Amino acid sequence: MVLATTSDPRSFNDILAKETSTSLVTDLIFEGLTTTNASTTKVEPNLAKSWDISEDGLTWTFHLREDARWNDGQPFTADDVVFTFNGLIYNPDIPSSARDIFTVDGKTFQVEKMDDYTVRFTLPVKFAPFLRGMSQAILPQHKLQKAVREGRFNFTWGIDADPAEIVGTGPFKLVRYDPGQRLVFERNPYYWKKSFDGDPLPYLERIIYLIVPGVDVGLLKFMEGTLDGYTLRGMDYPLVKPLEAKNNFTVYDLGPDTGSQFLFFNQNSGRNPQTGQPFVAPYKLAWFTDLEFRKAVAHAVDKEKIIEIVDNKLGYPQHSAMGPAAGFFYNPHVAEYDYDLNKARAILAAAGFSDRNGDGFIEDPRGNTVEFSLYTNAGTTERVDIAAIIREDLERLGMKVHFQALEFNTLVSKLTSRFDWEAVILGLTGGIEPHFGKNVWMSSGQLHMWYPMQEKPATAWEKRVDEIFDQGVQELDENKRKELYDEYQLIVSRELPLIYTVLGARLYAVRNKFGNLKPTNYGGVFHNPEELYMKEGYR
Amino acid sequence: MIERARHLSEFQIALRNFRKNRLAVVCVYVLSVLYGGALVAGFLSPYLFKNEDRNYSYAPPTPVKIFTEGQLTRPYVPAMELTFNEYNARVYKIDLVKKYPVRFLVKGDEYRLLGIFPCRYHLFGVEAPGRFYLLGADARGRDIFSRLLYGGQVSLSIGLIGVLISFMIGLLIGGISGYYGGRLDDILMRLCEMVMMVPGFYLLLALRAAVPDSFNSVQVYFAIIIILSFMGWAGLARIIRGMCLSLREREYVLAARGFGLSDFKIVVSHILPHTLSYSIFAVMLSIPGYILGESGLSLIGLGIQDPYASWGNMLSDAMSIVRIKFAPWILWPAFFIFLTVVCFNVIGDALRDCLDPMLKAEGEAQ
Amino acid sequence: MWRYTLKRMLVAVPMLLGISLLTFVLMRVTPGNYLDTIRMDPQFSKETIRHYEQLYQLDKPLAQQYIRWIYNLLHFELGYSFHYNVPVHKIIGERVWNTFVLSLSAFLFTWCIAIPLGIGAALNRNRPVDRAVQFFSYIALSFPGFFLAMIFLFWASQTGILPLGGMHSPDYDRLGMGGKIVDLLKHLVIPTRALSVGSIAALQRLMRGNMLEVLGQRYILTARAKGLPEGRVVYHHALRNAVNPLITLLGYEFSSLLSGAALIEIICSWPGLGSLMLTAVRSKDVYLVMASMLMGSILFMVGNLLADIALAKVDPRIRYD
Repeated sequence: MVLATTSDPRSFNDILAKETSTSLVTDLIFEGLTTTNASTTKVEPNLAKSWDISEDGLTWTFHLREDARWNDGQPFTADDVVFTFNGLIYNPDIPSSARDIFTVDGKTFQVEKMDDYTVRFTLPVKFAPFLRGMSQAILPQHKLQKAVREGRFNFTWGIDADPAEIVGTGPFKLVRYDPGQRLVFERNPYYWKKSFDGDPLPYLERIIYLIVPGVDVGLLKFMEGTLDGYTLRGMDYPLVKPLEAKNNFTVYDLGPDTGSQFLFFNQNSGRNPQTGQPFVAPYKLAWFTDLEFRKAVAHAVDKEKIIEIVDNKLGYPQHSAMGPAAGFFYNPHVAEYDYDLNKARAILAAAGFSDRNGDGFIEDPRGNTVEFSLYTNAGTTERVDIAAIIREDLERLGMKVHFQALEFNTLVSKLTSRFDWEAVILGLTGGIEPHFGKNVWMSSGQLHMWYPMQEKPATAWEKRVDEIFDQGVQELDENKRKELYDEYQLIVSRELPLIYTVLGARLYAVRNKFGNLKPTNYGGVFHNPEELYMKEGYR
Repeated sequence: MIERARHLSEFQIALRNFRKNRLAVVCVYVLSVLYGGALVAGFLSPYLFKNEDRNYSYAPPTPVKIFTEGQLTRPYVPAMELTFNEYNARVYKIDLVKKYPVRFLVKGDEYRLLGIFPCRYHLFGVEAPGRFYLLGADARGRDIFSRLLYGGQVSLSIGLIGVLISFMIGLLIGGISGYYGGRLDDILMRLCEMVMMVPGFYLLLALRAAVPDSFNSVQVYFAIIIILSFMGWAGLARIIRGMCLSLREREYVLAARGFGLSDFKIVVSHILPHTLSYSIFAVMLSIPGYILGESGLSLIGLGIQDPYASWGNMLSDAMSIVRIKFAPWILWPAFFIFLTVVCFNVIGDALRDCLDPMLKAEGEAQ
Repeated sequence: MWRYTLKRMLVAVPMLLGISLLTFVLMRVTPGNYLDTIRMDPQFSKETIRHYEQLYQLDKPLAQQYIRWIYNLLHFELGYSFHYNVPVHKIIGERVWNTFVLSLSAFLFTWCIAIPLGIGAALNRNRPVDRAVQFFSYIALSFPGFFLAMIFLFWASQTGILPLGGMHSPDYDRLGMGGKIVDLLKHLVIPTRALSVGSIAALQRLMRGNMLEVLGQRYILTARAKGLPEGRVVYHHALRNAVNPLITLLGYEFSSLLSGAALIEIICSWPGLGSLMLTAVRSKDVYLVMASMLMGSILFMVGNLLADIALAKVDPRIRYD
């Protein structure tokens, strides 16, 4: 099977690097104790056969599979689990985002080996996303312990590593990496999972990922037949779809994407500690913190036309902080803002914004022209298009908007450390577990971008969202949790700290070569690589 | 004074030679049309560069009809309606019942003629609900023809202003370096080499990142020009230095020095004017670099920003096989970049042919 | 000659230092640093980011960071890539090679086509052949290389003869030696052409100009007057003197290929230094950028030096001491 990815992996070390280009590789090689079922999005056993939970919900005992082996033939045991947590994730010398997930109120979990195939986790407080978090990849003690002891772990399993050294329990193992060109995986002969009929898995002998930075080249390579699957953009659809029958492939439309794209204003009332200047001019801060102003802007987002122009009608308007792809926790009943410039004008007029001096631009009640700069990151054409469309509508409302696409790093440094911006259009990846978005939604979070790292919540509704996240993480009853997170989505849609735009459709084109293909919205097309097989006649 | 007169007549000879090159003369006319068009872009274009109508995303060039049921009538454009077919491709249905006659000197978006006089009249256009896309529309239903004219203002002026700046720096550095020679020449030439040695594109990127992001569009435009000329001066400086080296030994310069003229005066009034006539073709040949440089920056999204048009950012919109397949008319900016660059190259070559004494000597020998 | 070479190398040191300083300053005074990329990831906490800051020494003063880099350089260490978390030399080695392969191929292609073309055009000055060659040169010079690359790719996708981008086929590691070479050559065609079309046109024009200039010299006239066959006049007397000035271009050629290759490498998915550097510049992977710039500049200097020495060898009038 030959697939494509747009960039080189940063590392093969699952602890150190987590972004897409890396997890694409590590997901094939490593496994966690649990996994998320791609169709039901429920948590299922993986390296752990089963688990028990104590009455108070604080002690979890995992019973591990006894037939699992590392791909170098060594047995997988409780030592590896304990090592992964105590030796790596909780190791203060190793920077890891996993530590942030498994730390609650500044306290870590206690991980103990009971016997070779039993591990006990003791939590300081109740932690609802615990089981889902247990999909954390387990790494082999016998390969890494020496590196940790010698303080070399941060430089282990980098992209310069010998592929044979990278040992996991997953269905495939890395055999070759040519930087900038390709990653070659072969089946792990020791893989524990068996098919329904008892055949050893995986079926596929080899998976090759080609590194293709150019989106158009990838598309051409798929059409030509080099690639067996390709992620399409909305605009590719009219080109690819008509060729389905002739070129013997299928285009799957798996519904809305998980990521979100939104517009937001700087509501930071702080001052630059060095110069004493406010981050945002006070009269502008007054507009941005004015809910009516944000509501008017929300009515000026032409979602329908954005979907038409940017995604060739293959997209979905987004209203809620969690997209429909989040499944269980998605709240469809939130405040929605239709595209209506007249309504927007009326709201602005009622809030005191109107064109008093007849220059074509509106002024606030004190006579300041509504003028601000709007940034987005250069490089993603779709987002730049969205920004340009919104800018045009804001100008139709009489706002003077200076649009600029900045380098991603420049933009992020403005958002997270310099705070000298006014309006930004950006995207974030999303998931199905609401708690993993706490850095965005809790007022102390650094990704609480419109006013990050507040010492105490600036508004009543932010206080309430903080409470919801604090309660939600400790609530083990799924339905009660959902009620809480529904409320936060409702609050966000009413208060509009982020003004949502549209979600693209998840589109994949796959050659009709493979059996057991079970595309789902959550997992995409290739979430079950171990079960896929080449159909007769394609081998 | 006598010296000056001879110099002028030499120039006249050159001009006569230049006129003999018919291709170059055609190119001068083409460039004049392009620059002239850019100058009065507002008047020639039916719409403002940012006038968008999202109902006409990637609308094809509007057909202009002159027959109604076999009868010759005044030219009109039919109404068009956007639909999506079963493969989500855009299909425009033409509605011949609704007609919008093409009119001349119509009232439309307000613009400033020559950048000064506010004006609402456009050379041609159709009345409001109708849209007239001479060369088709872009993603958001903006008229490509209008945007090409406005984009020409940016792309064509970037070359001129940019080359002017780098030529000034080149003259200064090259002149000083060539006239004084010695240690100073050494240092300045190493500096030039350093600038030429750094792979240009990355320097361009790094410099672009240093532009403050609080800049508005006009400031960004000038920042881009300055960056591009920062990269371009070194080559010119080396050419000019070479000429100065030979010129400073000429009799009239030695004479001027004998008269006790100051170094500055000698360089400015006796050496640089002579390099000017020889370096004019180098200048012509380096203008395309600025136009292509801006398109390279636009390709990675750091050139002139939307909604303002430049040929570079219009071309970068077209850098997608899917878009070209369904809307080939978005390739027009490539054609205009091409046309301009060809013209500058042809003119530069022609100028060299008639200015370079070596080639003239060769012409006699054959 | 040796003294000259030594002198040139000594001059190179402050220039390389200058380039590295310029790069460093440009990369570091501009807003944003590498860690901003992970700051945007909801799963990273402040503590983790501070940890990274210490690991990469981004919390130290700028001057100290630069001096440290120079110090390491003296020990032949090029620094650490933030993005890939490995020493820079481990990443760029292969990339430099890939870019070198592409540049060499473009370079050979350029010279093999441009020199004969220039000679032919000069000998047929103002005849239809010359006119046609000049016409196509104007066209070739007037498109941005990245645009040509895309058009070639599109053309390849329509015909299906050539592979679309990349350096090797997916099953490259299973091919035999001969198969590997053929595979590489096939993949080279499109980027080579995109990269060299412009330089062929430029070099052809230079060659034509030089040739015309030489043909106008008195000694050619003398040679003809002596009754030497025209072929001998052209190829023995004129050609050598016309090619010599072009040799000085060799070094610059490489620098411009390197920088011109970036966008073409990206569009053709060629795994070279150009595309690596573009992402490095954009993500502010400082040391990776500095090392790549340094590599590029050194290649450039060596090329220049070799060209000058070669020139002295072939042209007895030029002498260095």
